[in-house]
Amino acid sequence: MLYAGAGLAVVAVACLWLFGPVDASSIAMALRFTVPIGFAALGGIFSEKAGIINIGLEGLLIIGAFSAVASMYALSLTPIGANVWLAFGFAIVASAVVALLFAIACIEFKADQVIAGLAVWLIALGFAPFASTIVWGQVNSPSVDGFSKWAIPGLADLPVFGDIFVMRPPVMLLIVAGPLTWYVLNRTRFGLWIEASGEDPKALDTAGVDVQLVRYVGTVLSGVYCGIGGAALALRVGQFTGGGETMVNGRGFIGLTAYLIGNYNPIGAFFASFLFGGLEVIQLSIQRTSDIGIPTRLVGVLPYVIVLVVLVFVGKTQMPSSAGDHYESDD
Amino acid sequence: MSADDESADGARPGAAAVHMDGITKRFPGVVANDDIDFAVDRGTVHALVGENGAGKTTLMNVLYGLYEPTEGSVRIDGVRHEFDGPSDAMDAGIGMIHQHFMLVDTMTVAENVVLGNEPTKWGGFATDRAQAIEETKALAERYGFDLDPTAQIDEISIGEQQRVEILKALYRGAEILILDEPTAVLTPQEVEGLFDILEELIAEGKTIIFITHKLGEALEAADEISVLRDGKLVGTVSSAAASQEELARMMVGRDVLLDLEKPAAQRGDPILEVEEMSVEDDRGVTAVSDVDFAVHEGEVFGIAGVDGNGQSELIEAITGLHQPSSGTITFDGSQITTASRSDRIGMGMAYIAEDRQKRSLVMDYDLRRNGLLGCQRLPEFSNGFRIDWESTEEYVDDVIDEYDVRPPDPSADAHSFSGGNQQKFIVGREFERDPSLVVASQPTRGVDIGSIEFIHDRLLDLRADGTAILLVSSKLDEVRQLSDRLAVMHDGEIVAVVDPDAVSEEELGLLMAGEQPAGITAESARVRGGESA
Repeated sequence: MLYAGAGLAVVAVACLWLFGPVDASSIAMALRFTVPIGFAALGGIFSEKAGIINIGLEGLLIIGAFSAVASMYALSLTPIGANVWLAFGFAIVASAVVALLFAIACIEFKADQVIAGLAVWLIALGFAPFASTIVWGQVNSPSVDGFSKWAIPGLADLPVFGDIFVMRPPVMLLIVAGPLTWYVLNRTRFGLWIEASGEDPKALDTAGVDVQLVRYVGTVLSGVYCGIGGAALALRVGQFTGGGETMVNGRGFIGLTAYLIGNYNPIGAFFASFLFGGLEVIQLSIQRTSDIGIPTRLVGVLPYVIVLVVLVFVGKTQMPSSAGDHYESDD
Repeated sequence: MSADDESADGARPGAAAVHMDGITKRFPGVVANDDIDFAVDRGTVHALVGENGAGKTTLMNVLYGLYEPTEGSVRIDGVRHEFDGPSDAMDAGIGMIHQHFMLVDTMTVAENVVLGNEPTKWGGFATDRAQAIEETKALAERYGFDLDPTAQIDEISIGEQQRVEILKALYRGAEILILDEPTAVLTPQEVEGLFDILEELIAEGKTIIFITHKLGEALEAADEISVLRDGKLVGTVSSAAASQEELARMMVGRDVLLDLEKPAAQRGDPILEVEEMSVEDDRGVTAVSDVDFAVHEGEVFGIAGVDGNGQSELIEAITGLHQPSSGTITFDGSQITTASRSDRIGMGMAYIAEDRQKRSLVMDYDLRRNGLLGCQRLPEFSNGFRIDWESTEEYVDDVIDEYDVRPPDPSADAHSFSGGNQQKFIVGREFERDPSLVVASQPTRGVDIGSIEFIHDRLLDLRADGTAILLVSSKLDEVRQLSDRLAVMHDGEIVAVVDPDAVSEEELGLLMAGEQPAGITAESARVRGGESA
């Protein structure tokens, strides 16, 4: 699957190149767009590999985005003052708490995971604009300060590609998070437990490991990752917009698709997310430059068409055998 | 877990490895174990035999800490223990190998062995995979297991998977191993392999308890045999002094006819005729090639062979689950080669499938709804729009009554019944429809001895009534005893049709292996020639 993921990245860059000049700034832009998708995808892997299908990634991103902006706003009214990192932290906590509630519903109260996940999305979709209206009188927040860009010493001074290495911290975080997630899943005890929990929870249980605890941790981790992704999105834009599908606008679902394309391999999921990030760039450039007037909605369909095509060529994904099933210990 | 203070420092020399004293386990409405005294000496193999529901598994679950006994005590090496759960039992050196393996298919042998007790490096930030593989390898070599620690579980055979389960228990320091029906899923060769392993383990000083209802295996592998019936210990005998008949009597509580009394066949017209039929399996490989045979009224036509030589595909083609690639099937005078499954049921074809949980029952349905499966279109149960639940209930009550399904509760879900009772129910459901042909595939697989006798009797009853019976079984003694004519399948072909009373087990074994023993060729040619004439 690693090869498939790398292949996808090549496809993404090729697409960029076909539709417009590939330069450092368009790659940098694609990376920026990858951040919320990528974090949702990596988080979703933790939860689904542990056996809890988290279809509410979209909702968790919305919670993350709203909480980040709301925290910035609230902090600016206190003596502490607006602090991007503090707001970032609050957003992660908020999203993790919602993920924990989702996990409690699925594990403790045996809710259907897909329905509970949809509930997370729908509740977030309703709550965030509602809360915005209460706080700010409209679904969109006023502008807040966001992350500023950091230049990576040395690399940023490279000719031609230098611009890629001037990035906001969340992009760096994502680039680290991909391999880190792979490492945790494939090289640590916890990763082994996550896999066993999703494949054959009874085997894990008889080996003396608490299956439910593993599932809780996996699901809360998906909340943490989505908190990062949502906050990164809002703190890049510097505003929360709650109209329509909110500013998250389906990125959680795209993230879900990304890890399926990557067949639950974090590296594959990262590259698949990057493909979608690249598609977003192409979409923008088509909309901006096209004289033929392709309808925006039609261009918006592009990612999903790509998903179909890619799934046909990449082959089928292998779901964890026990994902979606409740597990009850005998003793 | 608590141990007596006086002996907390370790084993008492001379004490039995396991001593269960006066164990009673009550469930609401049921006494599963009734005042059982059970002791196993260190370094011996002890078989625990009994029919399904006799309380074997309950007793072992008490020993393994899954159940707390209502009364009685458990001593391990003379030290009294009260287990709160399997992990306490594991700490006391007890390992259990479940009938359904507790292995993660997508992980490697070594990963499964160390799961939950992984060796780590770098301060716990990584599993030490090299060490896991090394330890697994060392352990496997010590007990003479031929296993590749880096192979993935879904790539190795069932017999190898069982060895991984045993390694898992040994890795956790098990001194006492409980095996729950370890031979149920194994081929005869793998069973031999398992018995060799048990000897190896005994040589290393381990103690083994295995649950089985195959008396021959208990006699072969065990030093002592304890027999349970209806939750009570009937007795413990030394295997050197016991016979199959004696054990069967202890198990069932009456004399069991291990050799069937079978009246001569009243052979009538052919009911099922299969001509030049070939079947491809799901991967497009020819699984059955060019077979010809006929099953007549009032006879049992047996098919013997090592599993996987085309029997399943042959049966699926006859029952309508799989289309043959060429040839014809005639049933009761009409061509049914392409007829649908429901047409075949309507014409009077009964089917006892090999895998009862996948093919014959919906495990989450109660018996009432399971009793309707397959007959939902028959006029007795449906007017075409709605199901007649009243007549279904009557039918199911009849089946439960006639076929002694226990507990007799039509509203209980299928999965709450033991394998033997599930099978009795299926047999009843199929036989009570008054079929003209019964296709029975492994009808007694994983079924206790009393139920086996019962199912055999019913098959012979149908035969006496003039029903044609096609029987496939990998149990050689079963097909030999029941069949009037016996076909041997090898590599998709029927290599011989023989008179089961006229061939020896060795000759059948050779035929099943694809060799032609001297003397059989002529006879089988005669039987085949006689049939096509």
